[in-house]
Amino acid sequence: MGSEVKVVKSVCRMCHGGCGVLIDVKDGEVVKVEGDPESPISHGTLCGKGLASAQLVNSPLRLKHPLKRIGTRGKGRFQKIGWSEALDIVAGRLKETKQKYGAESVVFAHGTNRDYLHFVHRLANVFGSPNVTSPGYVCYYPRVGASIITCGGFPICDYDHDPSCVVVWGCNPVITNPDEYKAVKLCKVLNRGAKLVVIDPRLTRLASRADLWLQLRPGTDSALALGILNVIIREELYDEEFVQKWTYGFDKLAQRIEKYPPEKVEEITWVPASKIRMAARQYAEVKPACIHWGVKIEQNLNCTSTIRSLIALMTITGNLDTPGGNVLYPSPPVARFTEFMLTDRLSPEQRRKRLGGDEYKLASMGSVVPPMLVCQAILEEDPYPVKVMVVFGSNPLLTWPNAKKVREALMKLEFLVVADLFMTPTAQLADVVLPVASWLEYNDVAAYFFRGGYVLARCKAVEVEECWSDHKIINELGKKLGYEEYFWEDVDQYLDYLLKPSGMTWEELKEKGILQAPMEYKKHRKKGFSTPSRKVELYSTILESWGYDPLPSYVEPPESPISRPDLAAKYPLILTTGGRSPVFFHSEFRQIPWLREVHQYPMVEVHPETAKKHGIHDGDWVFIETPRGRIKQEAKLTIGIHPRVVHAQHAWWYPEKAASGYGWSESNVNILTDNNPPFDPCVGASNLVALLCKIYKAEEGKA
Amino acid sequence: MTQYALRIDGERCVGCHACEIACKQENQIPPGNPSWIQVFQVGPDQVGDKLITNYVPTVCRHCRKPQCMEACPVEAITKREDGIVQINADLCIGCKACIEACPFKAPQYNAEKNLVGICTLCVHRVEKGLKPSCAMHCQARAIYFGDPVELDKLLGKEHTANRFKST
Repeated sequence: MGSEVKVVKSVCRMCHGGCGVLIDVKDGEVVKVEGDPESPISHGTLCGKGLASAQLVNSPLRLKHPLKRIGTRGKGRFQKIGWSEALDIVAGRLKETKQKYGAESVVFAHGTNRDYLHFVHRLANVFGSPNVTSPGYVCYYPRVGASIITCGGFPICDYDHDPSCVVVWGCNPVITNPDEYKAVKLCKVLNRGAKLVVIDPRLTRLASRADLWLQLRPGTDSALALGILNVIIREELYDEEFVQKWTYGFDKLAQRIEKYPPEKVEEITWVPASKIRMAARQYAEVKPACIHWGVKIEQNLNCTSTIRSLIALMTITGNLDTPGGNVLYPSPPVARFTEFMLTDRLSPEQRRKRLGGDEYKLASMGSVVPPMLVCQAILEEDPYPVKVMVVFGSNPLLTWPNAKKVREALMKLEFLVVADLFMTPTAQLADVVLPVASWLEYNDVAAYFFRGGYVLARCKAVEVEECWSDHKIINELGKKLGYEEYFWEDVDQYLDYLLKPSGMTWEELKEKGILQAPMEYKKHRKKGFSTPSRKVELYSTILESWGYDPLPSYVEPPESPISRPDLAAKYPLILTTGGRSPVFFHSEFRQIPWLREVHQYPMVEVHPETAKKHGIHDGDWVFIETPRGRIKQEAKLTIGIHPRVVHAQHAWWYPEKAASGYGWSESNVNILTDNNPPFDPCVGASNLVALLCKIYKAEEGKA
Repeated sequence: MTQYALRIDGERCVGCHACEIACKQENQIPPGNPSWIQVFQVGPDQVGDKLITNYVPTVCRHCRKPQCMEACPVEAITKREDGIVQINADLCIGCKACIEACPFKAPQYNAEKNLVGICTLCVHRVEKGLKPSCAMHCQARAIYFGDPVELDKLLGKEHTANRFKST
């Protein structure tokens, strides 16, 4: 007779997470992970990634012990060491570097954040480094930062109160569940018959279901948003009372949008003026309506303008802070983010040294450093040398722009530490590799980072060899560096600290599962919006004080047929990147069998007409080439993409190719992307979604 | 006796493949072998002035008169009183006659074991009062479980009301 199955109620973290799960554990091993029907967030549903979690936790490819590099960097030879030795080495090098070059020459990096982001910042702040880099400069933070300065909160679709119209912009929420959102709620309102407008260069499943699909030229989102604003303002479809009472700078915005009539916007975006008008009327007239925005609006130099234009749309139509519109969830009563991060422990002198801090003030407001600036500091020692990088759960070789430059930079570092679940192309270049616990292996307050108004209990189900949570690694490293007063004897004690304002203990949260702040709508009527003018700042006084354009605008992407006709002669197609696969989370999960068999190889979407011109057939391996380099992906012919545009998938590497650096450069879309300015002037976002390329058949076949 | 079946609203399906993985986990189908439910993409095709992509999940319909059962040379396939069609792995010889006979090509051949498998409607879950795993996990709520006659009625109604109808 086998032993009993124990069921652990927890919260998934295969993407940003939040879906309730039940984990079956037998003899100390995870045997099954399924949806929790009692979850108030996901109601028993779970995606393929969550359902394959047992193959993550039990993967034979997991890192299970700390490793130290032997031989030259990049050869991939390592020796097993103990935790104590590993921490001694890391702490020793960090102290030494701080003494020799200053704390700012140690950069901390993280990726999509297994809910440990606040720990990374806490360590960086007490250590004295202003430099924490991450994908945050093109992912989520721009929306949070730009929203805070514009309307004092983060506007999220209120699917609990049946929006009658949903605008999905640069997002594929049924395939990936970003941040506060779960597809199950969106599907419910669509199944009930809500109107749907989709803005996407690709025909996603949602675009195919939509009442209106606006297939824009990649990188022109802000022009389209300004065009829609133009129609709503000129046709007086806005909520006059709300605009009068609760907005600042409407007249100036109304002046600005004069530059963006639908016919001109059609020229820029390729979206017919008639469709721009239809979308504007539908969004303005069907109430309540919400805008579900995605990461793609952030990955170009119009990032801040696009976000602020979309907030302007929510605002002037009276859909902000209104049931069924875009709402501002109150934070649950837990320790404040900046308080946990110990932001005030960083001296003003060190803060002034933040890479890009003077130039990208909106990024710096959120302690975000664009990674291109880190590479520049390593390679050019500009404005000062960066010598050491400590990476938690990130794979910069795959996920930072211009991967060849990134590799050069990583190779030049004096010391590189990578903490991850698996040996990755980046970890392979490290001096010390630390084995990390998956989300099934530690207790945590989940969703702390997000703004959906709740936190959840993620509960430990098993332990795997010597794997530690990122939280524990940082906690122990912090103590080793001599910052005992800021860290905990046992990392789990942090849970009670974080929950203290709620009066709840970790054990109580574990019992209850969720801690939620009571929802309140139309808070602005009582206390205005949390901005300097107490109104929604269509004209931003903060951007003005920082010396930026206070109004949204459109700037042509630096690499486009219009801005670079010379380059377009050689690279005639527009390359857009990063559409999601339902079974991967960026560079993760290529080694999980059930997930990889759904999606074996990277695919580049090409219109059949374009393919014909180049002699490419469906399933052929093709080279995609930009001025930075070329990669191979498998051609997928589809009429769901514009003939002048191709779409390549991101973050592909091959765990099965350990001997050749995991094929890090074969299909890696960031070989193609650019790390050069111009970036978004406020937040430093780089251009990942609108580049120039050419494609041709790869005779030698697959990667 | 209560009858059981799955019905799928293809217009709701978003093509996320979660049902496939749910099925593999629940029924312990090892990597490299096909799931008993499979989602196929159809399109995008030009329909009027719109481009339409559909996803078509294929799964055993536990037919009233299963043609697979008639085709099986070794009588490995039976239909239970509650409507569930089953393949007895001890009798199956892997000849694939059932796959040929099935209008939906729902049975799946497992080369490793030289056996054909079909959706069991997660009978082990159903007997505990649970829904089949694919139906429970579907975020788009595209998979229905219950009495086939009732489901057909319900889906017929939903479809007339469904604004996403592509044809």
